Amino acid sequence: MTAEVVGGVDVAPPTVASRGRTARLRELAPFLPAGLLLGVLFFVPLAVMFIFSLWTTNANLDIVPTWNLDNYAQFFQTGAYVRTLAKTVAMGAAVTTICLLFSLAVAYFLARYISRRWARVALLVIIVPFWSSYLLRVYSWQAILGEKGALNQVLLSLGLISEPSRLFVYNDIGTFIVLTYVYLPFAILVLYASLERFDYTQLTAAQDLGASPSRAFRYILLPQIRPGLITAAIFVFIPILGEFLTPSMVGGASGLLIANLIQTFFKNALVPQGAALGLLIVAFVTVLLIIFRKYLRVEDVYARG
Amino acid sequence: MTVLDQTHSRRRFLQLTGAVGATAALGGVLQACNVIGGGGAATTGTFNWMTWSDHYIQSQLDKIAKDTNINTAISELAGNAEGYAKLKEVKGQLDKISGDAMWVPNAYAKDGLIEPFDINELKVSSQLYSFAREFPYWQSSEGYMAYPFGWSPIMIYYDPAKVTGDPNDWQVLLDPKYKGRVVVENQPEEIVAYMARAAGFDKPYDLTDDQLTTVKGYLEKLKPNVLKFAQQATDSVAAMISGEAWLITGNLGNEDRVKDGGGPEIKGYVPKEGTVGWHDGEMIVKEGVNKALIKPFLEQSQQAELIAENFLANGRPLFNEKAYQILTDQGKKDQADRYLYAKAPDVLPTMVLKGPGTSTDKSIQLFNEVFGTS
Repeated sequence: MTAEVVGGVDVAPPTVASRGRTARLRELAPFLPAGLLLGVLFFVPLAVMFIFSLWTTNANLDIVPTWNLDNYAQFFQTGAYVRTLAKTVAMGAAVTTICLLFSLAVAYFLARYISRRWARVALLVIIVPFWSSYLLRVYSWQAILGEKGALNQVLLSLGLISEPSRLFVYNDIGTFIVLTYVYLPFAILVLYASLERFDYTQLTAAQDLGASPSRAFRYILLPQIRPGLITAAIFVFIPILGEFLTPSMVGGASGLLIANLIQTFFKNALVPQGAALGLLIVAFVTVLLIIFRKYLRVEDVYARG
Repeated sequence: MTVLDQTHSRRRFLQLTGAVGATAALGGVLQACNVIGGGGAATTGTFNWMTWSDHYIQSQLDKIAKDTNINTAISELAGNAEGYAKLKEVKGQLDKISGDAMWVPNAYAKDGLIEPFDINELKVSSQLYSFAREFPYWQSSEGYMAYPFGWSPIMIYYDPAKVTGDPNDWQVLLDPKYKGRVVVENQPEEIVAYMARAAGFDKPYDLTDDQLTTVKGYLEKLKPNVLKFAQQATDSVAAMISGEAWLITGNLGNEDRVKDGGGPEIKGYVPKEGTVGWHDGEMIVKEGVNKALIKPFLEQSQQAELIAENFLANGRPLFNEKAYQILTDQGKKDQADRYLYAKAPDVLPTMVLKGPGTSTDKSIQLFNEVFGTS
């Protein structure tokens, strides 16, 4: 049997099928610790959550093990819950889009026009905020965006507004700004990793052959960094579906997202309702990942080596 | 040879991870033995306490720790339902928990989560007003359910420079003039109770479905006015100080807290429709591993001098009568009287005491329904 060439890489022919069961188990053994960890820390809690989601709570806030789908039905029958989920998805999509646009520009600049040494310094600067706590960073944004915050002071001193604006905080705009700030570094780091390995002479070649810069960008660069784009989108979009701290601190009463409702259920002993809502998010994310996976061709990653 | 040049065999990897695992396991077993051992009559150590931030002053705790070797590991309590839910989850991992009025008998004691005790066994309890040792709903055949701490009606505070017409009711919170200018605590069952009082319902924790429908209308009017939900009472005060909020709900004493923080002169009142209120206490968790430390700790932490200091720091009445005398001796009688320190027997009966009711679960769902996206 000869090696097959896939995407420019030699791939060893499958030989596992020809080995005995013992050999196969021996090969899988190194994955056992990771499998156990995944099982204990992920699948078992998920199963517990699923069981809870099928139970109910009585007026005394006790969990009653009566099996039914009431909690799921309640979600779909309550317009506010469905709308809050839709708003959360829309917020996630908007933040992901803006993060991808910004991060693509920043990462492209760093990868193409800055020496590797200075690019690393710039990346260090980008991740410096991660050295402080998430809570502290969000609190800082309260101080920046608030009525007496730095942003209002600047706008007032520039004469752009005559009185402090309440536009930037305790609403969806505040949540959008802070979430973008929080997740942008993730997107930049992922896209930089993709763009750093890209061969930029391909863009020059495309333009030599008559492509406009934007056409070369769209048809040469973007397809080749697609895995990076999708990974960056996943890194930004999915955590936002579970975000409750930022909306509760800068979103105000009108800026709550679905995780805030879940938190209210859990905090107030309505565990089955919270579990059902939480699992619906898990199901939604799973579907999204399946869709993304379809477009995430792993051979692209291997091919770039 | 650099680290990268070293050969790492699978055997070596397993040896290392095995050693690390065995060490961790041994540590865990020793810790468990220590914890189990500590469940007896140990009088020094650390106990776990879930409480509100105004129930302690860190410097006092530090001094108690120094004098008695009793240390506290505190987790913040946001609301009664949360504390109750948490204790049901963790049980013996907590040793002491704070709770309000009717939550004590109707949730914690009913579920057998706490250990009643003979309050008169504690010497420090002689400093309490006698009525505080005799709340009928805190008495059981096994003893008293909680050590009484403080109390307050829930009031509405407003900035008179911004809120006109000297309001005296709950309705002011619904006035469209005050859009985005109200801050309320992040306690769903309480916010529903406030609106139930606004609607004129006398039992805000036991609402019928029809009453809940009415309350929903009030909550929908309240929603656009709410700027944010305060995670702690200090958040409401901070919002008033910064001028972001013109109206807040809270305990007695917020006038001074806002003024002390450099904020405006504000006014407070008990809404004419009636209000809800609380009196809280400290409960001993039945399965608490370190519960033996609680009574010695109470003997220290509830001393009048410390309670008087707590009053001055947090400004709401407490049940320690001797502390009132100390405040009087310190020339703080006016402040204590302004906060109704000695008026509990008159005021407590006028409030609906916080507690779980027949509609608590529906109230929380209603809150989520209204404050979700409309």
